[in-house]
Amino acid sequence: MIAGAGQPAGTGAAPDMRLLRALHFADSAFPSGGFAFSWGLETLLAEGRADGRNLRGWIAAELRGRWHQFDRVALAGGFWHSGVALLAWDRIVDESIAAEGARLDSLRAGAALLASARAIGLAVDPAFAEASDDRADAGHFPVVQGHVLAIAGLDLPAALAVSATTAARGLSSAAVRLGRSGAISMQKDLLALMPLIADLAAAPPDRDTLPGSFAPLSDIALMRPAAGRLFVN
Amino acid sequence: MTAARVGIGGPVGSGKTALIEVMLGHLARAGIQVAVITNDLVTDEDAERLRRGGRLPPERILAVQAGACPHTVIREDPTLNMAAADRLDRQFPGLELILIESGGDNLASTFSPDLVDYWLFVIDVAGGDDIPRKKGPGILQASLLVINKADLAPHVGVDFPAMMAEARAVRGGRAVLPAVCRRDEGIAEIVALLRREVLFR
Repeated sequence: MIAGAGQPAGTGAAPDMRLLRALHFADSAFPSGGFAFSWGLETLLAEGRADGRNLRGWIAAELRGRWHQFDRVALAGGFWHSGVALLAWDRIVDESIAAEGARLDSLRAGAALLASARAIGLAVDPAFAEASDDRADAGHFPVVQGHVLAIAGLDLPAALAVSATTAARGLSSAAVRLGRSGAISMQKDLLALMPLIADLAAAPPDRDTLPGSFAPLSDIALMRPAAGRLFVN
Repeated sequence: MTAARVGIGGPVGSGKTALIEVMLGHLARAGIQVAVITNDLVTDEDAERLRRGGRLPPERILAVQAGACPHTVIREDPTLNMAAADRLDRQFPGLELILIESGGDNLASTFSPDLVDYWLFVIDVAGGDDIPRKKGPGILQASLLVINKADLAPHVGVDFPAMMAEARAVRGGRAVLPAVCRRDEGIAEIVALLRREVLFR
């Protein structure tokens, strides 16, 4: 039984813009380059360290160990800061990623999201844009995501919910494309993970929190070369 | 003013990279400022091949790894390629043309109009003379259909004039050009078409 299913949804007011914007940016069809990355899951599934039949547990561990401690913090900084402070925060995030492959992939994903944001007409912070012109190493994905969702008009709780939801769906979609999980199973997993996502995304980090994570299996997987992969990482 | 973006798609082994290699010589002789983006699954194989060819400075050739979905990165979600093209535009003022090579795909492969201004679909005679009849979106919608390896036709039982006629018929008169990339045959005509329809010079 799905938590909350079967309960009357109520007859409240029409959905507000906050909800509609969140739905828009959480849509898997929103172009951001995310389809190309498995963030270590492909290797771990191939080696039996993650189980495609119990992906829910794996995703929950990644949400707790990586997303909550790293992405959530990095995103909030991207959401709060602008101009020089935004770039300084991005540099802190850069220095917090231990694996070089993961660092470069985060920059690639960030550049893709920036390209998408510019193309749809969002006013990307000029400092960020100029820095990206001069340096290939500015714009990590969660920082860019926070910035883009802020300038798109979301509030921080909605931005965090979008980020956690898209992170969970990205991992489960990778497993589906690898043939290790079914499309229906994926939806059951995501529904079951909703309470956890809501809980983890509920509270923004303190302003002085630095990004850090504990996801050793996927960190090691991201550092290892792999032949014959379907995903970039 | 940004550079014109031209996609080059087609099945695996049809000659996309070979076409770019030989086109680069023609474009250089015409004084056209070019850069290339290649899409491989998870390697930089095609980019490395072009860099080894030496017809462009290595920094003008970017590799975008597309994972398992060569069509996604040129159509449903072209942002990785858009970011790479934006970067080339910023790095090389005066750039006139960015060639974006898709990873090998099937006949349903098409380029997003968000990504490219014009696109070529490359097939080859060794893939079979029935390819145009199959009318995949790549065959039908490409700005230009190139049929490569025309010299192999007698060796693989293909009536090449009939294949060309069939391709022109299914495309309703849109451009179809033959090529033998390995011998630099037909490439001048392809480049002339690009100059006329895309670069306007």
